Amino acid sequence: MSTRKFPLKIHLKILCAALLGAFAAHPAPVRIAFAAEGETAPPPPMDIPYMHEEAMAAGIDHAYRGGWEFFVGGGVASFDCNGDRRPDLFLAGGTEPAALYVNRSPTGGALKFEQKDTGLPQRDLTNVSGAYPIDIDNDGHLDLVVLRVGENRILKGGPDCTFTQANRLLSFDGGRAWTTAFAAEFEQGMPFPTLAFGNYVDRAAPGSPWGTCHDNDLFRPQKRELTEDGKAAMPAYSERTALSPGYCALSILFTDWHRSGTPDLRITNDRQYYRGGEEQLWRVEPGRPPRLFTRSEGWRSVQIWGMGIAEADLDADGYPEYALTSMGDTKMQTLDEDAEEGRPVYRDIAFEHGATAHRPYAGNDLRPSTGWHAGFEDFNNDGKLDLFIAKGNVEQMPEFAAFDPDNLLLGGLGGKFTEAGHLAGIDLPTRGRGAALADFNMDGMVDLLVVNREHNVSLFRNLGAKSDPQSSDPSRARPMGNWLEIELAQKNVNLDAIGATISVKTGNTTRVRKVQVGGGHASGHLGFVHVGLGVSERAEIRVHWPDGTWSAPYRVFANNFVRIERGSERARYWLPE
Amino acid sequence: MRHERFRSAGKALTMPAVTMLAAIAMGPACAIAAEVEPWSERAIAVHIDASQYTGTLDAVALGHLRDRGEHLFTAKFTTEDGLGRPMATQAITPVKRKRPVQDGFSRTAGMDANACSSCHNEPSPGGAGNFSANVFVSEGFTNADFDSLDPQFSNERNTNHLFGAGLIELLAREMTADLQRLRAEAVRQARQSGEAVRVALVSKGIDFGQLTIEPDGMVDLSGLDGVDTDLVIRPFSQKGVMTSLRQFTINAMNDHHGMQAAERYGARWTGENDFDEDGKADELMPGDISALVAWQAGLKPPVPKVPDDSRWRAAAARGDVLFDQVGCNACHVRALPLNSLKFADPGPFDAAGTLRTGEVEGAIYDLALLEWTAALPRNAEGAVMVPLFGDLKRHRIADARIAALGNELLAQRFVDRDVFQTTELWGIASTAPYGHRGNLTTLDEVIRAHGGDATPVTKAYEGLAEADRSALIAFLKTLVIEP
Repeated sequence: MSTRKFPLKIHLKILCAALLGAFAAHPAPVRIAFAAEGETAPPPPMDIPYMHEEAMAAGIDHAYRGGWEFFVGGGVASFDCNGDRRPDLFLAGGTEPAALYVNRSPTGGALKFEQKDTGLPQRDLTNVSGAYPIDIDNDGHLDLVVLRVGENRILKGGPDCTFTQANRLLSFDGGRAWTTAFAAEFEQGMPFPTLAFGNYVDRAAPGSPWGTCHDNDLFRPQKRELTEDGKAAMPAYSERTALSPGYCALSILFTDWHRSGTPDLRITNDRQYYRGGEEQLWRVEPGRPPRLFTRSEGWRSVQIWGMGIAEADLDADGYPEYALTSMGDTKMQTLDEDAEEGRPVYRDIAFEHGATAHRPYAGNDLRPSTGWHAGFEDFNNDGKLDLFIAKGNVEQMPEFAAFDPDNLLLGGLGGKFTEAGHLAGIDLPTRGRGAALADFNMDGMVDLLVVNREHNVSLFRNLGAKSDPQSSDPSRARPMGNWLEIELAQKNVNLDAIGATISVKTGNTTRVRKVQVGGGHASGHLGFVHVGLGVSERAEIRVHWPDGTWSAPYRVFANNFVRIERGSERARYWLPE
Repeated sequence: MRHERFRSAGKALTMPAVTMLAAIAMGPACAIAAEVEPWSERAIAVHIDASQYTGTLDAVALGHLRDRGEHLFTAKFTTEDGLGRPMATQAITPVKRKRPVQDGFSRTAGMDANACSSCHNEPSPGGAGNFSANVFVSEGFTNADFDSLDPQFSNERNTNHLFGAGLIELLAREMTADLQRLRAEAVRQARQSGEAVRVALVSKGIDFGQLTIEPDGMVDLSGLDGVDTDLVIRPFSQKGVMTSLRQFTINAMNDHHGMQAAERYGARWTGENDFDEDGKADELMPGDISALVAWQAGLKPPVPKVPDDSRWRAAAARGDVLFDQVGCNACHVRALPLNSLKFADPGPFDAAGTLRTGEVEGAIYDLALLEWTAALPRNAEGAVMVPLFGDLKRHRIADARIAALGNELLAQRFVDRDVFQTTELWGIASTAPYGHRGNLTTLDEVIRAHGGDATPVTKAYEGLAEADRSALIAFLKTLVIEP
């Protein structure tokens, strides 16, 4: 062997010189956003989740299709409709019928879904742009709010994924607008949720589509007394409150932006069609008419092609940050530290956090990106939230990238995000719209479903960390960080604790999650709340219940599904089959 | 084939090849390795390449790895190795200090030693420690920089011995597997029957309470006794809160020495490869930790000695009987059966932050290759009867009437301040002083200090005639660690 010809020290020095030379030859780490310009960014040090696309193999064959009205929308509701706690899927189809897929995935195994006939008439299932799950009538079965180009529907959930059309039962007029957004909250003291609908262009208005945005709608449940057993009768939504002016909303979200305990309604709007419009924040106080925050109250005018909203309290200070997708730069807003109490003064931190995602990170198309659904999740269970953004050209807009892969921005040191979509394997040539970020096979790792325009959905199973970032061998995936999945439960009213805040403490680190219905892009998820824990093997959970009371601390071990019932002395674990 | 390859390399002591591989693994750190001289002040000349120790190691490979582990256990680490953690606390998860410490060494908040054997040294490396070698256990999150002995900031603990630790971990693994298998079977039954199933959690004769499983898979944890809610038996530390030697080693290396293992404090989890900011990257590589684990796992367990003195033999025989009659053996179970001596590293029940099965190819240390295992008794089924005098279960050991062992103010990792894992008595005669703080000088004192769940046994002991109490002590004094 030639290795024996040289003394050890010389040998090592030669090797080290070679290695150090190689290191020196590498460019300094650059933001991945510039990778498309021909530079090679080093893979980030954290785990890269191996996202394995298996929609067809899983039994899902479903695209979002249609003409101009369906350039936007394309949502999915992810929720458990048969009591097995696995997320089932209701997929919008545009001009094609929406479809219900029941989750049959074995624990930790390949994803498997089975289409189920809803038994609903075709007219209810076509022209669907999106859907959100929520238990409106507190019967323990999640209902579906179905957004349509035309009359919106509320489908009352029953056992074993059965649904009945419930507009009349709920005295709900679904209107005739082009609805693209939804959010819901339980206002203080109310036994049923308040429903908000975001509408897009009013096609019937003169001069449409330019400057003809439809008003948005707020439906408050008519107040009803609780029955003797503590339950309430069926709500009525016969009173519509117009949120005017509307500026062509594409995502709306009730959010407790300043820890007041009373969420307000944030709306992201598409500047493509509005005139004189901007992003909006409606003050929604119980028993009072909603009103817009004004410039004098600190609200600054921001005009973007707003497509989706994601909320997360990235620094766990109690004041959430917001990712707002758009054409070109994604915005990331944080409440300005100098803002006075109660004044919604936001500043953009997308650039300093490396989260602008303004153009494709792969391929050679340098035109700006078009962002849709946004969601924060911890895909690699390293304890830091990541940001997923669905991307895709509206249709054939020449000023924007044609090949525009979805983003997976991994959270890292100092709050910086690093693009890893290409390394994870989600950089497909599809036009993404809505999405569901959920653990479909109950293995503690977040999977991903993306609804694509004119193309089958993408369904990515998270296999674990790539042992080699460049590897495409799924058998070499390795375990990632620790995790928890948490389910909250209340009795009688607001059973799923919409509006609750979950605080997960490990050591000095607190991770915060909200239970919300709304945001994203025409897509909602209800079910286990996932929290990556990194290297922590135990955690203390506290729940800030929707009525403002704090729970006792619950001590749990990592890598468990946890159910916390309000008032219970200890948490319980749930074990999947 | 891997062993052959290793063996040929090992016999020829082709350090260039081994070192080269290590240097490649180290990346930029290889520049340091290249400068190693015989008078170097580094304790770690070259990191151990874990990929050279995979599969079931043969005796030569295991011996070589254990030799490396012993070197690391007894080595006095220096700042050249990365000793010290100026910007990291003692916490078991990576936590930054708010400001650098003024003095690297501190007998309270640590780092408090530069060698494992500084404390684990009685009667030989791997052993226990005297009162002067006590450590101050703080979780290292809040008040991480305490400089006071005030017990509101830390729990003062005496140093445990590690002899037989491999057998202890193997027992814990088998018991964890038993408990989790019982739980899985109950889940299956509940789902199939549509009715709640109550399952008794008993492994190797030790009763850990019960679980109730609802048909939908929901688990009622309120009936558990002496085990964590994830049913992982954590056999190490006086509280029973460490899963494995690997986890314990990584914790201790950071806490006591500021030597940070890459598998927990490295860039994968922290974004930095010099998390403690002492100028040394990746201070301990997975192979280094493996060597330390292999050495500790292979430490010969204590075995009772037969006294030369005939009076002692007679008294010990009497005490042996009294040990059971009084009820000591209810918790200090004499022996537990162990089915396999194959020690997988990494192990099956660690969580992220400690290398896990599936992350690397891993190695198996067959403890049967070590001479001492031949002398271990076996039961009729062929299982090794591990004479630990313990049950790997936690019990409440102090109360208002007998509070001596409840001398801590801080709970540790969800375990109440007056709850501890049963101390294994093997080697007790070689590890005075006694008690969690090491502040009880005689066996009689520590027996009388048992309160809480052990109160009836303590009363029974106190009710013995003086000669019988003496006989019981005579028996315990035969439980020695052979140096």
